[in-house]
Amino acid sequence: MQGIGRPGKGPIMDWISPLGSESARVMQVLRRTSFGYTPAQLDSALSEGFKKTVDRLIETKPVEPPILDAASTPGGRFGVGLLQQWWLDHMLSTSTPFAERMTLFMHGHFTSDYRKVGDDTFMYWQNLTWRRMAMTDLRSMLTQVTSDPAMLKYLDLAQSTGQSPNENYSRELMELFTMGAGNFTEDDVRQSARALAGWQLPQPDSYATVVVDKANKVTQRRPVFTSQKSGVFNAKRAFNGSVTYLGKTGPLDTQGVIDRILAQPATAVYIASKVARHFVTAQPDAAYVKGLADTFRKSKYDMKTLMHAVFTSPQFNAAQSYRTLVKTPTEFMVHTARALGAPSLSKLVAGAGSGMGQSLFDPPDVNGWPTNESWISSNTVVERVNFVTVAMAQVKKSLPSASDAPKTQLDGVLSPQTATLLNQAADDRARWFITLASPEFQLK
Amino acid sequence: MTREIGINQLKRRDFLKAGLVFGAGAAGLAAGYAAVPDAFARAVYAAKREGVANDNILVMIQLAGGNDGLRTVVPIADPVLHDLRPKLAGAMVSKALPLNSQWGLNHNLGAIKGLWDKGKVAIVQGVGYPNPTFSHFESIRIWETGDPTRRQVNGWLGRTLATAYDSNGHPLTGCACGTTNVPGALRDLQATMTVIQDQKKFGFSGGSEVEAAVGALYKGTPGIYGALFDTAMATATSTISTLRTSAASYQPMADYTDKVKLVYSSKNQLAAALQLAAELIVTGTGVKLLHVTLGGFDTHYTELNRHDDLMGYLDTAVGAFYQDLAAHGMADKVLIATWSEFGRRPKENASGGTDHGAAAPLLLIGNPVKGGMYGDSPNLTSLDKTGNLPYSVDFRSVYQEILAGHLGAGSNQILGASFDRIPFLAAPVAAV
Repeated sequence: MQGIGRPGKGPIMDWISPLGSESARVMQVLRRTSFGYTPAQLDSALSEGFKKTVDRLIETKPVEPPILDAASTPGGRFGVGLLQQWWLDHMLSTSTPFAERMTLFMHGHFTSDYRKVGDDTFMYWQNLTWRRMAMTDLRSMLTQVTSDPAMLKYLDLAQSTGQSPNENYSRELMELFTMGAGNFTEDDVRQSARALAGWQLPQPDSYATVVVDKANKVTQRRPVFTSQKSGVFNAKRAFNGSVTYLGKTGPLDTQGVIDRILAQPATAVYIASKVARHFVTAQPDAAYVKGLADTFRKSKYDMKTLMHAVFTSPQFNAAQSYRTLVKTPTEFMVHTARALGAPSLSKLVAGAGSGMGQSLFDPPDVNGWPTNESWISSNTVVERVNFVTVAMAQVKKSLPSASDAPKTQLDGVLSPQTATLLNQAADDRARWFITLASPEFQLK
Repeated sequence: MTREIGINQLKRRDFLKAGLVFGAGAAGLAAGYAAVPDAFARAVYAAKREGVANDNILVMIQLAGGNDGLRTVVPIADPVLHDLRPKLAGAMVSKALPLNSQWGLNHNLGAIKGLWDKGKVAIVQGVGYPNPTFSHFESIRIWETGDPTRRQVNGWLGRTLATAYDSNGHPLTGCACGTTNVPGALRDLQATMTVIQDQKKFGFSGGSEVEAAVGALYKGTPGIYGALFDTAMATATSTISTLRTSAASYQPMADYTDKVKLVYSSKNQLAAALQLAAELIVTGTGVKLLHVTLGGFDTHYTELNRHDDLMGYLDTAVGAFYQDLAAHGMADKVLIATWSEFGRRPKENASGGTDHGAAAPLLLIGNPVKGGMYGDSPNLTSLDKTGNLPYSVDFRSVYQEILAGHLGAGSNQILGASFDRIPFLAAPVAAV
């Protein structure tokens, strides 16, 4: 077998960071927060400069996606494809892409999947809620996460009663949502499962009779929701008594559980570390994370404060952070579509994610999506290249000029191979293909 | 367009003039730029030691989410089961396929029961490890790395690839089928392996021109992910060409059609993944270590139908896979083993499901197996303080037997220690 690439025996090459220049800093922050950019968006941000761009990203109120009429479908099953396309259309066209980037981050963190939830309306609501809450504070976020209808189904809290608690949500609330493994005991899991019990799904606005089998005249009565709702707390299902949780004993309700979690130093560290790994560098050092965590906790867990601290930290623009993050499949595809000036690709994007390992509303497990090197395999590199091929074929009539693409999309920092191939490329089509299929473009 | 040019032949100043900057090695480091962090260090392909002598093949099937052991291998004669599981026990006992007076297989495991009757299934009871964690992710990592102390970062199969096989130049030696990402068990930066989600889609839609272009593009890529990108692309182009040949010469000799409609997590196309595994095996691609995953076993809620469906899905896929291998004369070479991060709690919860548990049985299937029950049978009256079944067999004992007895690989080196033997192989190839 031939043609297997082997790393050379010479010194390891690294990218030369261009982040000493203002324009490179602006391009990097847009790549990491906004699914890339159209030429107009880039020009506008370049004239604002890095600092004002960061302020604008954080302070601009999210534009809501259009209302999805299908959400009132009786029974709530209207197909995940429709939901994916609805969100991707918004990612591709919104004027506040940072809100979508944060919603995607929250979707991977406070994750739920449509298969287990079994109700696309609830998944739709969850997306709306995550967007609205993403830049608030962790305390109110956790309250909303706990009573979110999709989450109530996904982690079985809607099934949990004080008499017979279900541990699923209780465990993941601490392990994956706030504190991380090793910072609580199995007894804490059992105790907070009791304290959290009592939540139920909301009551539908009405019911509709739907014909499910015309030939045999079989009908079903299905719930209809005409407006977004939260879970409801039923005190009769709750646990009445004292629990010993995270070192303290006494009666405890949902808010009490959340407040006790927020009193643990591990919580701010866990969240800050995850944010740093998603937005700054694959392996943030402990002192950096601790600094962010302290800022976060002091601000009463304010997400704007945390994200501002992250983007303005020296580490964000350090040479050591340059190209240390791999674009998620969604980021890669939306960025490609934006670069090609082709917002009509949402259907293609919705279908192409699974081969690269990311299908929206369908994470692999309760840990959400993996990061960075996990996105790179023999399967995913082929799928990414194929996406570029197909996306370019779909916009063949009006491909933008590629002459600036290596600079605006790749910071002008190219591997020798990429540079060679671009130099040899016959036309814009070839230049765009090399730019978008290159390893450089897979990084952010 | 795809002609390759060495770096010294490039007109470097032309690119600098155009505002382009090269990734650079020594120059970059001298200028104070980051060295590559160790964890992502470029794969170093050391000269391989003696490769393993035999041509045996291992297929690991991950039952992800925590498979309910008591519902897989059912203690049909134990009255305590009915006390612990008033909702779930009735049907699972009455419908079970009896193996002996005490134990039965889940009623949807008919094909596997047929293989048991022929002495081709070993059940190892009570498999686990000390101080079990109830976190999916910690426990998955422990099983994947073979290290309950959580220091090891590479997967046990990845280390096997790296130490016992020459995977460099042979990226199909290790292969994950039916997934997009490298499973943790196969991960090791010193080993090359292939990931194929769906063979029909595995190829470049732009044809040979695109294949040649990206082959040239993904070479000598700088940065911490450079080697991963380059290796992934080289693996892909090489494997695509291998699969072109193998697909043309493979005729399935079994029915892989799903006989069970999954109510949950139908994303795990186990049958399709195992059919791809069969193709790779019977067409002589050199594949040795395969990994496939079936998810959906985290049955906290209404476990009854869901777990039975998953068992049926496993059974259909494994039954067809074995039949296909046997018809192609390859069944003597292939050992199939299941694993899951933990079992489930013997006592059911109020949602008609079960919470995270500890020890559980493992199934080893195929002609290399000496059929029967191994390990101490779980005792439902002596649960630990968390209400779970204590383990009687360290999971690394099973790994050891697979590595040394089936693959002929150095299990001591790979696992870092030796463990009690579980003699589930009919003719182990090397003494441990």
